Amino acid sequence: MTTETVERKLTRADLMRAFWRYVFLFQCGWNYERMQSVGYAYSILPILKKLHPDPEDFKEAFLTNLDFFNTNPVVGAPLIIGAHIALEEAGASYESTEGLKVGLMGPLAGVGDTLVWGLYNSIIFSIGASMALGGSALGPILVILLVFFPYLAVRYWQFTWAYQQGSNLVASLGGGLIARLTEFATIVGLAVVGGFAPSIVKMTIAWKPEITTTVQGQAATTTIDIQQQLDNILPFMLPVLITLLAYWLLKRGWSPVAVLGVLFVIGFIGGAIGLLG
Amino acid sequence: MTIVYAVVLAALAYYAWYDILGPNFTLAFRPLISGFFAGLIVGDVQMGLLIGGTLELTALGVYTYGGATIPEYSVGAILGTYFGKSQGFEVGLALAIPAALLLTQLDVLNRFLNFVFVHRADAYAEEGNMQGFDRMMVVFSHMIWGFTRAIPVFLAVAFGQPVVEAVTNFFNGNPWINQGISVVGSLLPALGFAMLLKIMPVAKYPAFLLLGFVMYAYLKMPLVGIAIAAIGIALVFQQIKYRAAEG
Repeated sequence: MTTETVERKLTRADLMRAFWRYVFLFQCGWNYERMQSVGYAYSILPILKKLHPDPEDFKEAFLTNLDFFNTNPVVGAPLIIGAHIALEEAGASYESTEGLKVGLMGPLAGVGDTLVWGLYNSIIFSIGASMALGGSALGPILVILLVFFPYLAVRYWQFTWAYQQGSNLVASLGGGLIARLTEFATIVGLAVVGGFAPSIVKMTIAWKPEITTTVQGQAATTTIDIQQQLDNILPFMLPVLITLLAYWLLKRGWSPVAVLGVLFVIGFIGGAIGLLG
Repeated sequence: MTIVYAVVLAALAYYAWYDILGPNFTLAFRPLISGFFAGLIVGDVQMGLLIGGTLELTALGVYTYGGATIPEYSVGAILGTYFGKSQGFEVGLALAIPAALLLTQLDVLNRFLNFVFVHRADAYAEEGNMQGFDRMMVVFSHMIWGFTRAIPVFLAVAFGQPVVEAVTNFFNGNPWINQGISVVGSLLPALGFAMLLKIMPVAKYPAFLLLGFVMYAYLKMPLVGIAIAAIGIALVFQQIKYRAAEG
């Protein structure tokens, strides 16, 4: 149907090399500052090396791919890597490859975490744990089988599918559609993050002051539930505020590690004195 | 013999975290799996199943979303199985849960210390040095993860229950430490989301972030539902936008 206009510069061996590098070390260097960035760069590096024969060009590609990256490692990351390789092979600019990564990592983090950890794992592990409590070693063995094969298959399938689709798209439609797809993913991603952040970031007021007043000669004690009052004004108010505080500090040029320090101090002191829970 | 157990169980704790970081072959960081493996090692599979299964049911759906720190269930299951074999299920479980909670603090430290890799990586990229970067990834990138789990397991098994109890009693006597760390663990994902927002064009499309929040906070929609609704919204938005642009 579509005529292949993109010149194939990568072999199947190149693709598989990137895939296995992703499988074996993707999250190993995970850190608060740039999260999965080193694992991402490690996965795609042989591809960058091959497609950027000029040493200066390669350095720039290497550095660009050390930017912040975080998504679900099982459903999400292989898809982005596969699509990125296709764009890279077609000679796309850093702007479009970074746009693809940034546009897809948010939505896929939300969708992947919900599907893999929240749904699939909860089902297989509750079955496995019940069997184990009944004394059957088949429980954990069954879970391992239901992890080993499906996980690997899903990761491999996403990676190759996204690579194929990426090449086809580039071949038939050019750059305009990539911008449009990125915008589409950005919209979905922002909406998911809007719901995902308050579902994960937890911060509540644990302190419930008691006020004793004397009413007509009798002492009456009232407990003030501050958290409930806050919930009435705006649900998830504190998680929203703390996320906005971190966002604002980053925007002002604070390093992630400095913001981490601020959050650590707020959380630790708040928790230690019993104000936050 | 105790030292052999200490080394092998420490290696299991190391493997459990390496597996979730990379291959995801067995998900050994889940207590059901690490308890089972620990049971095979110490020769009491039933104990491993009981400890692992019990912990697993308290941990269902608890994962490191957005880089959140969760209780160290794998170490809990390994130590619980080891001590449960000699002293019974109750003692094992009574050790497993506080051990899991105590080691939560090392996870925060670990995720912080890993910043060294990102700065080394920048230096390798400046040099265009792929070999050096590859060596760092293959040899070193999992070490802080692994040893923050393996060393406590080794010490606990090698020095036995008195040490574990002394440490546990210290933290039980000072509950403010755990309270502080547990709040830190639950609010730190704010940083992950803030970084995500910083690189997304929030100022250009603020409406969608608000819609997602409203769907979760007020309409109590699950995340998959929000994602599906967002796809619909994005389709409508682009249809209108590009129709106008194309005249």
